[in-house]
Amino acid sequence: MSENLKRTFLDEVSSLKSLADAANLRVKYLGKKGIITAKIKSLSSLSPEERRVAGREINELKQFIEEECERKESLLKSAELKGRLLAEAIDITLPGKAVSFGHEHPLSRTLREVVDIFTRMGFDVQEGPEVELDCYNFEALNIPKDHPARDMQDTFYISEDIVLRTHTSPVQVRVMEKKKPPLRFIAPGKVYRCDADVTHSPMFHQVEGLMVDKDITFSHLKGVLIAFIHQMFGPDIPVRFRPSYFPFTEPSAEIDMGCILCKSAGCRVCKGTGWLEILGAGMVNPKVLENVGYDSEEYTGFAFGMGIERITLLKYSIDDIRLLFENDIRFLRQF
Amino acid sequence: MRVSFDWLKDFVKVAATPEAVAEKLTMLGLEIEALERIDGDVVLEVNVTPNRPDCLSIMGIARELSAAYGIPLAFPDLNVVSESKELDFNVEILEADLCRRYAGRIVHNLKVGPSPDWMKKRLEKCGIRSINNVVDITNYVLLEFGHPLHAFDLSTIRGHLIRVGTPKVTTGQSNMKFTTLDGSEREVSGETLLIWDAERPIAIAGVMGGSDTEVTEKTVDIFIESAYFEPTSIRRTSKTLGLKTEASYRFERGTDLKALKKALDRAAMLMHEVAGGTLYGKIDIYPKRFYPKQINVRYERIGRLLGVKLSEQEVLDCLQGLGLEIFECNSEGFKVKVPPYRGDIAMEADIIEEVARLYGYDRIPAELPKARLGVDSRKEIVSAREIRHDIRESLLKCGFDEAINLSFMGAYELDLLSIPAEDARRKLVQVRNPLREEDAYMRTTLVPALIRNLIHNLAHGNRELRLFEMAKAFIDIDHNSLPEEKERIAALYYREKTKTLYKDDTPDFFVVKGIGDAMFEGIGISGHSYVRSDEPFLHPGRSANIMIGGSKAGFIGELSPAVIEALDIKAQKPSVIVMEMDLGAIISLSKRDAIYKQLPKYPFVERDTAIIVDARLQAAEIIGHLKDHASGIVEDVSIFDIYQGGNIGVGKKSIAFNVRYRSPEKTLTDQEVEDTHKVLVDYILEKTGGQVRI
Repeated sequence: MSENLKRTFLDEVSSLKSLADAANLRVKYLGKKGIITAKIKSLSSLSPEERRVAGREINELKQFIEEECERKESLLKSAELKGRLLAEAIDITLPGKAVSFGHEHPLSRTLREVVDIFTRMGFDVQEGPEVELDCYNFEALNIPKDHPARDMQDTFYISEDIVLRTHTSPVQVRVMEKKKPPLRFIAPGKVYRCDADVTHSPMFHQVEGLMVDKDITFSHLKGVLIAFIHQMFGPDIPVRFRPSYFPFTEPSAEIDMGCILCKSAGCRVCKGTGWLEILGAGMVNPKVLENVGYDSEEYTGFAFGMGIERITLLKYSIDDIRLLFENDIRFLRQF
Repeated sequence: MRVSFDWLKDFVKVAATPEAVAEKLTMLGLEIEALERIDGDVVLEVNVTPNRPDCLSIMGIARELSAAYGIPLAFPDLNVVSESKELDFNVEILEADLCRRYAGRIVHNLKVGPSPDWMKKRLEKCGIRSINNVVDITNYVLLEFGHPLHAFDLSTIRGHLIRVGTPKVTTGQSNMKFTTLDGSEREVSGETLLIWDAERPIAIAGVMGGSDTEVTEKTVDIFIESAYFEPTSIRRTSKTLGLKTEASYRFERGTDLKALKKALDRAAMLMHEVAGGTLYGKIDIYPKRFYPKQINVRYERIGRLLGVKLSEQEVLDCLQGLGLEIFECNSEGFKVKVPPYRGDIAMEADIIEEVARLYGYDRIPAELPKARLGVDSRKEIVSAREIRHDIRESLLKCGFDEAINLSFMGAYELDLLSIPAEDARRKLVQVRNPLREEDAYMRTTLVPALIRNLIHNLAHGNRELRLFEMAKAFIDIDHNSLPEEKERIAALYYREKTKTLYKDDTPDFFVVKGIGDAMFEGIGISGHSYVRSDEPFLHPGRSANIMIGGSKAGFIGELSPAVIEALDIKAQKPSVIVMEMDLGAIISLSKRDAIYKQLPKYPFVERDTAIIVDARLQAAEIIGHLKDHASGIVEDVSIFDIYQGGNIGVGKKSIAFNVRYRSPEKTLTDQEVEDTHKVLVDYILEKTGGQVRI
């Protein structure tokens, strides 16, 4: 009898299609009015001997049915989940919702790199006005009126005595006037010259640097600037120092580095020389130190300056400086 | 300056190749910018710095090479054979401060004609066009010795007299007209140094001769001038007249007081050789004599400045050949007498530069300095830099690209924005010599530049723009002092509706406002508010002033349609959002010191209510009332829906707000929340005259 029931149950279990059917089947056999429940109830009409045998049999069957139901339900459940997940699938090849970060201007990027290198070397950062007194921009830097050195920098004038600063060097003077050595700082900022073409913009950015203390030498100037160039452009870049002229430094130097575009082989950008001029520098002219009340016997120092546009043009192979100030997003978004 | 290699070899017999010589000169401070091969010769393009007028000549460059290679300098033979006949010709220097020396020679019976080929070629290689033998000789000597000469047609000089003086001193005139040999009539001031004959001016000293006394094909007798004019006077004249010549270029940098005589003799000899003239004795008026500067040089100081210890012999070897007179040598140092062609050498440091130059900058070892530690900057400067950095970062993260514009603007740009006359942005700093009229003023606001950027981008098909710029604005104070430089930050947002996969309909104004708020949050500014703006270039209904601590820190809003039309902005969509703020004020108000607040222990309860109010009522007012009345358990209030139309009456709108309640001390009961919320809603209804939306 129970074998028949078991077979019937197994047939029914195997044909189950859904969790709901499984629940119904469970009720059919194990519910209050289920087949097994009824059988258990009917045990009471049997003799104790019969009841013991039949009881064991029915209990085994009940356990079997329970286990089978559970097994089947779990199978159906995972099948159903699988089906649902399949139905919920999205086209993962569609693009994500665009989140675009803005782009730092290439000049800001170069400026930040330069400032970082010098601050890591312990240089402080100073600022000064962009509209500047003639005396700070020129006279205090040993460039008197009616001096041909003024031709080196085409100047925008606001009045007889006020100019748009032509370099960041006046910050040297402003800082030295307020502080005593030791001094070690850079001064980044905008500067202006009356000149406009593919490589010149009437406004551009410079970073000025100054270090003054006892016993600062030309060797130190070389050490610091070579360290800078190697950090900025790579440790294997050759560097050379050649004599030049700035009224506010003596001796003065221009610093070239090996052309980064042709690896010093000679190309259009380095005019075939293999060298690129990258910095101007020198030992602070004793007259400049005396102008701010320093004792030039006791203190010496070096100063340097560089153009951020030039470095940026070289670094990113940009061939027209005007692109830097047009703010065309097709340009800006390349950086 | 263009220098012929052949010509150089007349004076210094270098064996090295032109390339090697070019390299040598570059490393001496005479940068060779180009090397050009012409007719078997090589022309070097030398970049001569303004401190070295002596190198604006073949001789000067030869001297440098002589010093560098240790090869002696060969000087040209200057034996002038002249007639000893007494001359009836006088020179008077009226202002010795402006003309320290004036020499001249008379040449008779020469034949003006074409120059010989060798001379023509050398001049042409050096970039000077051949005119006739007489003019060419003056130019030839100019290139060779670096000393400018001028030849007058002697027959045109009246009264056998040359005078040197300004109009003020010579005739008492404050200004006059004078025709130079290029045919232009020029206005010269009373301070301009001129050369006169007995009756009239005949040349602008050191700059250009006059047309009346010019050497022509008919000339047979000439007067050659070789003089020393004061550099600043020549420079002023050249600047004022806008007239720059080979002569003025050299005079204003300083010429050689002594060598001017040699240049004169060299020219005279060539006049005889090339043009067949008869030479007469020299006239040489020399009222202010040259006394060489003496400089003390200490070996110890050379080491201290260069960082390399050179032996006494090494130092002296370096200076040999530069023509410096070295004397009183001892173990401490020596003295130097500076020759007249080295006006750039005036102090010990200048001599040390000469030593370093000849020794070779590349031979000085590089070394990192040992420095004393120091914290120079004040904390507020450092933190201002950090705040600026954070602001930049937050805008970059929000998708704004960074713009950098020139600091200039045109006054018309303020007109286009209808900025009123009394506005601070009209206190303009004017550039006297702008490159273009559009760049005649320093900008007082960053908005015009960003609008220019918009127009540029639209013209190039870029239909979506998010730009920001951080820069200074310049506000004039009183013309005589430096202007106020105010840091500003500005942003522009423009986005056309494009076909996109995922929709976002947030109005542009609120997109930018949200980004602004995020920026404020990032630097610890809270409690700022927005009130309607009266900026004349903004849409009055869609713009706001940003108020921080009761004062205006900036504005945000949509450009008004009038501005869009006036600027001819080819935007498909009318809404262009601009924002500009006083960065300095923001930095000073930033509070970034965070203090930890304990996380809440008890749960929150939320209540939503919608009320119907007058459509003109602003959200800030309701939020204000909610916050005013908030009891201790109101944690946050926010508006989450605005609705107009449908069954909401005309002129009305529905505002739905959410209040979050939480007690720091216990879990709130429903009844407590219900009671508090009812009181709050009643208060809002009373204040706004609204009613609960059912």
